[in-house]
Amino acid sequence: MDIQFAGEHLLPGKLGQFFIILTFGSALISAISYYFATVKDTNDDSWKRIARLSAWVNTFAVVGIGASLFYIIYSHYFEYNYAWAHSSRSLPVYYIISSFWEGQEGSFWLWMFWQSVLTNVLIQRARTWENPVMTIIMLSQVFISSMLLGVEILGLRIGSSPFILLRDAVEGPIFSRPDYLSLIPDGNGLNPLLQNYWMVIHPPTLFLGFASMIVPFAYAIAGLWQKRYKEWVTAALPWALFAVMVLGTGIIMGSFWAYEALNFGGFWAWDPVENASIIPWLTLIAAVHVMIAYKNSGHSYFTATFLVLISFVLVLYASFLTRSGILGETSVHSFTDLGMFGHLLTYLLVFFILAVGFLIARWKDLPITKKDEETYSREFWLFIGALVLTVSCIQVIATTSIPVFNAIFGTKIAPPANVFQHYHQWQVPFAIVISLISGFAQYLKYKNTDPRKLYIKLVMIIIIAVMITSAFAYIADVYHNVMYVILTFAAVFSLCCNVPFLIDALKGKWKLAGASIAHIGFAFLLLGALVAAATSKVVSINTSGVGFGDEFDKSNNAKENIILYENEPVRMDQYTVTYKGDSTVGVNTYYKINYKTINQTTRKVMEEFDLYPNAQQNAKMQTIVASPDTRHYLLHDIYTHVSSVPLKTETAEHDDHTGHSEDEGYDQPATYEVAQGDTIRYREGIIIVKGINRNATVEKIPLGKNDVAIALKLQVIAKNKTYEIEPIFLLKGGNKFDFGKTVADVGLKFRFTDVHPDKNKLELMVYQKPLAEKKWVVLKAIKFPFINFFWAGNILMMVGFLLSIFRRNKEIKVI
Amino acid sequence: MKKSAIVGIIIIAIAIGVIISTYADSSTYGSFTDARESQTELHVVGTLNKSKDLIYNPKVDANYFAFYLVDKQGKECKVVFSGAKPQDFERSEEVVLTGKMIGDEFSASKILMKCPSKYNKDKMEVQEVEHTAALNR
Repeated sequence: MDIQFAGEHLLPGKLGQFFIILTFGSALISAISYYFATVKDTNDDSWKRIARLSAWVNTFAVVGIGASLFYIIYSHYFEYNYAWAHSSRSLPVYYIISSFWEGQEGSFWLWMFWQSVLTNVLIQRARTWENPVMTIIMLSQVFISSMLLGVEILGLRIGSSPFILLRDAVEGPIFSRPDYLSLIPDGNGLNPLLQNYWMVIHPPTLFLGFASMIVPFAYAIAGLWQKRYKEWVTAALPWALFAVMVLGTGIIMGSFWAYEALNFGGFWAWDPVENASIIPWLTLIAAVHVMIAYKNSGHSYFTATFLVLISFVLVLYASFLTRSGILGETSVHSFTDLGMFGHLLTYLLVFFILAVGFLIARWKDLPITKKDEETYSREFWLFIGALVLTVSCIQVIATTSIPVFNAIFGTKIAPPANVFQHYHQWQVPFAIVISLISGFAQYLKYKNTDPRKLYIKLVMIIIIAVMITSAFAYIADVYHNVMYVILTFAAVFSLCCNVPFLIDALKGKWKLAGASIAHIGFAFLLLGALVAAATSKVVSINTSGVGFGDEFDKSNNAKENIILYENEPVRMDQYTVTYKGDSTVGVNTYYKINYKTINQTTRKVMEEFDLYPNAQQNAKMQTIVASPDTRHYLLHDIYTHVSSVPLKTETAEHDDHTGHSEDEGYDQPATYEVAQGDTIRYREGIIIVKGINRNATVEKIPLGKNDVAIALKLQVIAKNKTYEIEPIFLLKGGNKFDFGKTVADVGLKFRFTDVHPDKNKLELMVYQKPLAEKKWVVLKAIKFPFINFFWAGNILMMVGFLLSIFRRNKEIKVI
Repeated sequence: MKKSAIVGIIIIAIAIGVIISTYADSSTYGSFTDARESQTELHVVGTLNKSKDLIYNPKVDANYFAFYLVDKQGKECKVVFSGAKPQDFERSEEVVLTGKMIGDEFSASKILMKCPSKYNKDKMEVQEVEHTAALNR
């Protein structure tokens, strides 16, 4: 208890902990002050001044936490649990940034940081909305900052602080020693999978997306609270678009990271953690559409409000899923529980009750139209589209929440065995409907449209779309499955509907082009995802594996991994693939895999490239962490990763050591009695006895009168090379000596050990190095056709959102 | 009746269908005994028997990986997986398998591991460090 520990740096931690308390306190004061500023209808703006001041203090304190934590990690103060657990001395600075958010605390900080950035923007720009909107956001800030508190109140630990000392966090006998720090030379290091540049930018983007979801939520609550039912939609629309854009970018970065750096073998795995990020995105994108419908027609008010509100609640639900440890057995990469289960649940319930409470309280006043929408009106189909998106979201929630149901009802249901089939049977039809609506709704007007004009336009488009669909389905090889063909048609149809608007936009009305660009992007995304997922082909099919019993072979499993020995080419699909050796840079070993396309008739190399999939070897753990390498083409990718490699410790065993006998490292020698002109065959070539050199000399040994030195002239022909070598036999003072010679290139050693004049034979001993173990890698290679459509579609979608933000932002200023 | 109300009903019907399908598609957690009896795909949770060797010999077959798993009832069974040995497998504490029994072997189609990851659990590896430090003094 009272040990004086040597070498600890307690100041940055104390400072950081102070900033956490300050963040929590200032957020609380700011939320309360904004609340009173909202409800007290006085001209005196003292509450607002206090609130703003606290908000600024809050921002300062949040930055203070970040600075303290960064300083601790950057200085390698391993007396702090966070630095010890997530970083190491060898980590470069840019990965120190990613080690920052490897832990839960750091990612909460990130969320908090973005939320305070948003509060500063809102203080500048929200004007009449500032008080109510900021009340809600500061309340959220109170909750997030409480996650970092790490204090005990009435025996209940609230939150988890990143500034906890290692000796407080971990039990261990060494912590009773005052000099324990000298025993901890380095931290645990960052998970190698996270040592990737995408991990530097993916989490900040994702969390900016999550954080910005609070803004439309706060506007919706403010609208209900202040009874400004209609106005809030216009004010919140650019924010909703912003959140959709940033969160979408964050999700897609994660997907790209998984594709480029993890060996998932794909861009989307329906993993619960991935699902958790897309759930709120789906409802908010639905919300954006009905908000626009409401603005232009007055319909769908309740749907718009409800979807905006539920989106943020779902953000909290997503955090609850990934951070509470409830996903447990269903996901590989959720966070482990930090004892925040109840805390996270409280955060979720408070905001859920807030949303439902306001809706119920204001139910009678809500501007819900009693009128029916026209079938040929845009607002009706926007509404339908939003509902389909919502149902699609419900499907994802239902399956992802299986562990939650298990926890509530005490059941033991396992997730579907075939995840892809399960999700796709629902999501493919939903995608078809949404894609079709996103096409023809462009030709509908608000209120009502003349059906005849509509059909004339659509017939033309359908004809073109059918033609393109048949061509594309044939080229991309997706015509075998009816659903795939329909989805292709839906996407192409949407494309054909939206392109004319894009052309109009390019003629000058580019500000209105946001929607059509986003829809074109969505269509490309669907095409890319469909073709890449449906026709991705494992090219490394192994046809050689035999010998493990019939039962095993009967199970009909695809043999997707193939072994390659160094410099032994193997045919895979159209490629001739050769493993060319490896090189080690830092912790990574890069395996050079050469791909060649050889024309079968002319034997000419049509194309050649090298891929460098890598693996981090951990000698102590005897494991590898592999990352793929991908060859990108315009229309497809060749993706390669190593599944297994020889571990370094195994191959490094037979080093030459000093102090061993010279003949060590060779196989048992073979003794031959040879004469001039003889030829000896050995494993890799031939040895020819050329003759005898009777005038041989041995360095530093002068020859006496009766001494004889003879050299045997040998020629070794191996690997298309010829080596000349002369081992020497010496007779000195009646004793026999010999001086062996080696040919290192071919691993041979020769000793000329005796002369048998009686038989006219010479005794030659041949030593040969044991056959070196051939280097090998096991790899898996997959071809993803049209995957660039997927990425390009995503980028287009984000550009579309950006343009829409400018447009909708302008509409606020007009009002 | 309003059109949106009709649509709403249809949507609710689809949503119910979704939830039913979730349960229809869902699998169950079970033991090797259950797997033997039911002969259907299910999830088995267990721990790796580290005293027995993992069988993965890419030179013979790069797609054959076998190991022994002890399920939650303490029953051991040989598991075969058609594919390369997953990375970090040796260190796994808990393994979740998806698959079914074929003969006396459990044929896994999916392996999910929970590692006592050195990256997120509070487990210290100080023994070695302590040892060398003592030697240096």
